[in-house]
Amino acid sequence: MSGRTPPLEAVAAWALALLWLAPILFAFWAAIHPPEYLTKFDVTAPLTLVNFERAFAAAPFAQYMLNTAILVTGILAAQFVLCTLAAYAFARYEFRGAGVLFSLILVQLMVAPEVLMVENYATIAKLGLVDSLAGVAAPYVASAFGIFLLRQTFRQVPKALEEAAVIEGASTMQVLLRVYVPLAKPVYVAYGLVSVSFHWNNFLWPLVVTSSETTRPVTVGLQVFASVDQGVDWAVISAAALATSAPLLIGFLLFQRAFVQSFMRAGIR
Amino acid sequence: MKLALFAAASALALSLGSARAETEVVFNFPVAVGGPVTEIIDGYAKAFMAENPGIKVTPVYTGSYQDTIARTLTQIRGNDSPAMAVLLSVDTFTLYDEDVIVALDDLATTDEEKAFLTDFYPAFLANGQVGGKVWSLPFQRSTPVLYWNKAAFAEAGLDPETPPATWEEQVEFAKKLVKKDASGAVTRWGLRIPTSGFPYWLFQGLTTANGVELMNADGNKTNFDDPAVVEALEYLVSLSKEHGVMQEGIIEWGATPQAFFEGESAMMWTTTGNLTNVRNNAPFDFGVAMLPAQKRRGAPTGGGNIFIFNAVDEATQKAAFEFAKFLTSPEMAADWSIKTGYVAVSPAAWETDAMKAYAADFPPATVARDQLEFAVAELSTHENQRVTRVLNDALQAALLGQKEPAAALAEAQAEADRILAAYR
Repeated sequence: MSGRTPPLEAVAAWALALLWLAPILFAFWAAIHPPEYLTKFDVTAPLTLVNFERAFAAAPFAQYMLNTAILVTGILAAQFVLCTLAAYAFARYEFRGAGVLFSLILVQLMVAPEVLMVENYATIAKLGLVDSLAGVAAPYVASAFGIFLLRQTFRQVPKALEEAAVIEGASTMQVLLRVYVPLAKPVYVAYGLVSVSFHWNNFLWPLVVTSSETTRPVTVGLQVFASVDQGVDWAVISAAALATSAPLLIGFLLFQRAFVQSFMRAGIR
Repeated sequence: MKLALFAAASALALSLGSARAETEVVFNFPVAVGGPVTEIIDGYAKAFMAENPGIKVTPVYTGSYQDTIARTLTQIRGNDSPAMAVLLSVDTFTLYDEDVIVALDDLATTDEEKAFLTDFYPAFLANGQVGGKVWSLPFQRSTPVLYWNKAAFAEAGLDPETPPATWEEQVEFAKKLVKKDASGAVTRWGLRIPTSGFPYWLFQGLTTANGVELMNADGNKTNFDDPAVVEALEYLVSLSKEHGVMQEGIIEWGATPQAFFEGESAMMWTTTGNLTNVRNNAPFDFGVAMLPAQKRRGAPTGGGNIFIFNAVDEATQKAAFEFAKFLTSPEMAADWSIKTGYVAVSPAAWETDAMKAYAADFPPATVARDQLEFAVAELSTHENQRVTRVLNDALQAALLGQKEPAAALAEAQAEADRILAAYR
C-alpha cells in the first residue's frame, strides 16, 4: 500500500472502470430525463421522475421486490444450513462411500442448471410446488458449490482446535457452531454474496415455474418492457432496471470493505 | 421461518389443486404480468366464462415468445401441460415435429366449425397449416408497412401525400430526403429498414415484391439462392453502399421508432404493431403505406397463433378449442385489433360495426388489411430456428460487407439444404 500506482496502470484502471460504468451512467441519464433527451447530451435538460412512475405503474414492482427478497434470503438461509452440515460431514467424518458421494456432488458442479430444467420441473410438479416460492428455491438449496467451498475451508481448520473443544466438553453440534462456523465467516460472506447476486438475477427457472404476481421475482417482472413489436422505450427500461438493481448496488457499496476483505481471506479470486 | 414458508406455500398449492371441479383451460400467453394487455385478456377470459359455465380459463402471462415456448415445452415434458398457448405462427412446424399439438380439424365436429377454420385471411392461415390440416389459429398477427414523415417530405420538395410505390421511387425519394450538415455528416437518412435480430422478416418484404417465395409450403425446401432473392439482397445492400440513403451496417430494430420520431430517418419499415406507438409519439404528421413494389406488391405476415396441446385430455382440448373460437370470432378479433393495433384476422371482423367505425376514424389501420391481398406466409420450415438463423447470418454478412450477396446466399442455401435433407 505504499507509494503511488504507476501512471500507466492508473490510466488503464480508469479506462476499464469508465468502460464498465458507461452503461450504468447511460441508464442513469436516460432514467432521469424525458425521452427526447435520450440521445442528446444537454446539461440543462429538465430532470424528471416520470420514467420511474411509468415503470412502477406498468407492473406491481413492490410485490416483485418482496418476492425476490424472500426468495434470496430463504435460499441463502437454507443453503447455509444444508451446506454447513454436509460440508462438516465430508470434512471430518470417515464413512463408507464418502469419496463416491463427494464426487457425485462435484459432478453437479459441472452440469449447467438449465440442462436439468425439464427434470426439475417434473419433480416440482409432483411435489405440488409449481407456482410457489418454495418451488423456485427447491432446486438450489443443496448447493454443490457451497458444500465444496465449506468442506475445503473446514478441512483447513486445525484438528487441535476441535480436540480442545471436545476436552472442554463440547458436543458435536457445539464444536461445529463454536469452532468451525466462526472460523469460516469470511467464506460465508463471500458465498452469500455469490448466492444472493445469482438468485437476484436468475430468470429462466423462475419464469418457467411461476405464473402469478404473488410468486414472480423482479427479473421476470421486468419482462413487461420486452415487447419487441412496439420498439423499445429506453427511458422506462432504464428507470426500471435501475430501481430493481438499486438494493443490490447500495448493499454492495455499504458493505464493500467487508466483501472485498472476505474475498481476499477466502481465497476466491 | 424457512420451514413455515415451505409449509404455507405447499398448503396453498394443495388448496389450489383441489379446487378444480370444472374443466380448467390453462392458457400461456406471451406477455409479462401487469400492463394493459393482460387486462384485455383477463376481460376476454371472464366474458367467455360467463357464457360457458363449466369451463375455467386461467391465463398465465409468460414473457416474450421465446420465453413462452421454452416454458410451454418444459411444462409439457414435465407432465404439467397447459391446454393452449399463443406462440409464433412460424413455430408450427417445430411444434408439429415435436408432436405436442392437436390438429384443429380433428376438434372441429360440426360443419359450421369446419367452415370457421377457413374463415381467416389466407395469408394468415398459411403459417398454421401442415399436411393439409390446420394446426393453429391466427390471433395476434401483423405485417410490415412503410411509415413516412410528411413534414420531411414537404421540406424535401416531395408531395407529402404520396409515398414511394416502387423500389425505384423509394431510392429516388430517399435521396431527396437525405440531409447533411456543413461538414458533410448525415443528419437525416432517407430510409431505415432495421436489420438486427431477425432481418429475414423485412427482407421477405423485398423478396416477395421481387416475385419469389423463400420456402415451399411443405417447409422442407428453401430458395435462398434464387436469382430474385440475390437481387433483393443486392438492392438492400445498395441502399447504403451505393445510394447512401440508409445508415451502413446492422440497423437496430428496437430503436427504429425512436429514430423515426426524432427525425433521424424520414421513412421506416416496421411492423403494423407499431401503429399505436407512432400515433401517440410522432411529433409530426405521418403516413402509412404498403411496402413498395418491384415485380409485384408483397410482404410477409408475422405474429402469434393459438395452439392447443395433445397432452391434456380430450374434454380439456374441446374446452380450449371453444375458447380459441371465442377469441378469434369476428367481434373479439375486431376488439383485439382496435385495442392493440394487430391486424384483425378475418374478413368478417372488418365487417363488424366497431371495426368499420375504427377504420373510418383512423384510415392508416386499413393499409395493413389491404396489403394482406399481396401478403405471403412468414419464412417457416422444419427446424425453423436453425434455418432462419442461417439466413439471418447470411443477410448480416452481406450488409456488413463481409461477403458478396450471391456468395452469402449460396452458402446459406447449402446449409439449409443440409439441415432440411431429413424432412424430404
